[in-house]
Amino acid sequence: MTGGETASPGAAGQGIGGSIYDLGYRGYAGPRLGRRHAIRALLVQTLRVAYGVGRGGRAKLAPVILGGLATIPAIIGVGVVALARQAGMPPNLEDASPVRHDTYYGLITTLVVLFCAAQVPEILGRDQRHQLLSLYFSRALRREDYALARVAGIILAILVFVLLPQAIIFLGLVLSASDIGAEFGREARLLGPILGQAVVLSVLLGSLSAVVAAFTPRRVYATTAIIVVLAVTPIVGSVLVGLGVTDLARLAVLLSPADILEATNAKLFGTTSSNDLLRAADLPGELYLVGAAVISVVAIALLVRRFRTIAA
Amino acid sequence: MALILLDGLTKRYGSVIALDGLSLAIEPGIVGLVGSNGAGKSTLIKILLGLVDATSGRASVFDLDVRTRGTDIRQFVGYMPEHDALPPDASATDVVSHLAEISGLPAAAARERTAEVLRHVGLYEERYRAIGGYSSGMKQRVKLAQALVHDPRLLLLDEPTNGLDPAGRDEMLDLVRRTGTEFGMTVVVASHLLGEIERVCDFLVAIEAGRLLRAAPLGEFTERTGVLSVEVEERAGDLAAALVAHGLDARAVSPRSVLIALDDERAYDAVRDVVADLGLPLVRLEQRRHRLEDLFRDEPDRETAA
Repeated sequence: MTGGETASPGAAGQGIGGSIYDLGYRGYAGPRLGRRHAIRALLVQTLRVAYGVGRGGRAKLAPVILGGLATIPAIIGVGVVALARQAGMPPNLEDASPVRHDTYYGLITTLVVLFCAAQVPEILGRDQRHQLLSLYFSRALRREDYALARVAGIILAILVFVLLPQAIIFLGLVLSASDIGAEFGREARLLGPILGQAVVLSVLLGSLSAVVAAFTPRRVYATTAIIVVLAVTPIVGSVLVGLGVTDLARLAVLLSPADILEATNAKLFGTTSSNDLLRAADLPGELYLVGAAVISVVAIALLVRRFRTIAA
Repeated sequence: MALILLDGLTKRYGSVIALDGLSLAIEPGIVGLVGSNGAGKSTLIKILLGLVDATSGRASVFDLDVRTRGTDIRQFVGYMPEHDALPPDASATDVVSHLAEISGLPAAAARERTAEVLRHVGLYEERYRAIGGYSSGMKQRVKLAQALVHDPRLLLLDEPTNGLDPAGRDEMLDLVRRTGTEFGMTVVVASHLLGEIERVCDFLVAIEAGRLLRAAPLGEFTERTGVLSVEVEERAGDLAAALVAHGLDARAVSPRSVLIALDDERAYDAVRDVVADLGLPLVRLEQRRHRLEDLFRDEPDRETAA
């Protein structure tokens, strides 16, 4: 110990076993909050890693660029509507704008996939690559807790990603309206579908990319694999549906996360999708919601199993 | 009450037996766990932490079963793994305080304790820099700090001097010794180097091929293995003969050195007297300990004798 400058404030040091010169070691008598606190801390840290908070500029690059790309159209769209309203354009103009609550999720799905491909391997692969798991699993935490806290953090990060532009559209339309109260009432009716679709999207894409990243610790492979699973399987699905005449072939559309999300979006907002594949499959909207739930549950179960059995 | 209790603990990896019916009670103190590579030291530590499940047998820590009470036990256990376990892109402060929170400490307490343990292990300004730029000595210190940050009652250190140069080894061993004595913490140090372990431990557990060779206070080990080596400028043969005449088990191993079986302090007096009588130039008088391999080679006889 290098003497004086290490003296900590509080001067309670002489307490346990230390000499006058060396404040020595002090035990910790404070609270130990156990598993629940550990899970919360891990969840918060997952969110921070997802957005590169508290890390260097390079860690922020992907989330900031992708988040910006996902948000800027909302700002521009809302700005255009606000200007048009001030110029006295007809009030139903916003229905013609491509920037609407019901169309926006479809607009940014690719960006969400890229966000997952860039950040989820960072969150899950890092701990495996650097053998951090043994430090986690040797603490007051269960292996399942680790898996669930990580995937919950990933889902929360995606929720933030997709709800931010929706919030901008919501506030922009309400605040630029001539009759704010009436506009708020109109918008508030959409809150259910907005939040519902955000949850479906975040849980489905979050759990799928988490399970892929958990099985491929190498970053490059994980990123590629996530893009393949989230963006390339639609092609397989569409080929099968295109070929298929049987009901079973039509169900192949459920292999494609992006198409499932388009269908649940249409179902929740009560619109009709112009997607050829979905029309060819011609399945009831509820089935897509069930499909999304089943896929998410299976993915999360596999993720938990992975971390239960992984060597640490 | 024993802090750690093992009862017929067995672990198989396929056809390989890592631990073979290990039964043992470990009392509070600084305990050395010695054995060559692959003897089962890491496996034992991992079973105590609940990182690995035993194939059969029981293990308990703080009187709690490791199978069922893992999180309760681990709240009060610190673990320093043998391998690298730190992300290169984060700073020591970030890693240690995050892990403190995972151990259940509130955020503010986690930060305070992090500053304190990093200081204790001797990391100052560099604790804010990314770990990727640290020397292996600094990385080992961070690994020790994360094991200490939640003020555990039991500290499990797996080869803490791994990858360190001689000076780094000395510092790490000193740190381990101080941690055990000043903090009143029970420390289990696993190592394949007996020479290192005997410098810090009070109690020694030797295992080989997953079986217990011996568990005893350090003194008993060194007694048993004690050899006094005397180096002189010349006439080692005469010296040995004179010592034998004094009733000691001595033999000259070269013209300049004699080995004496060290049963008690009497040998030192005899050497002093004989060297003075013969007027020999004494170069060195050193208590030698058997190397670990010798210790293990001797053991089977002992087992069969017992």
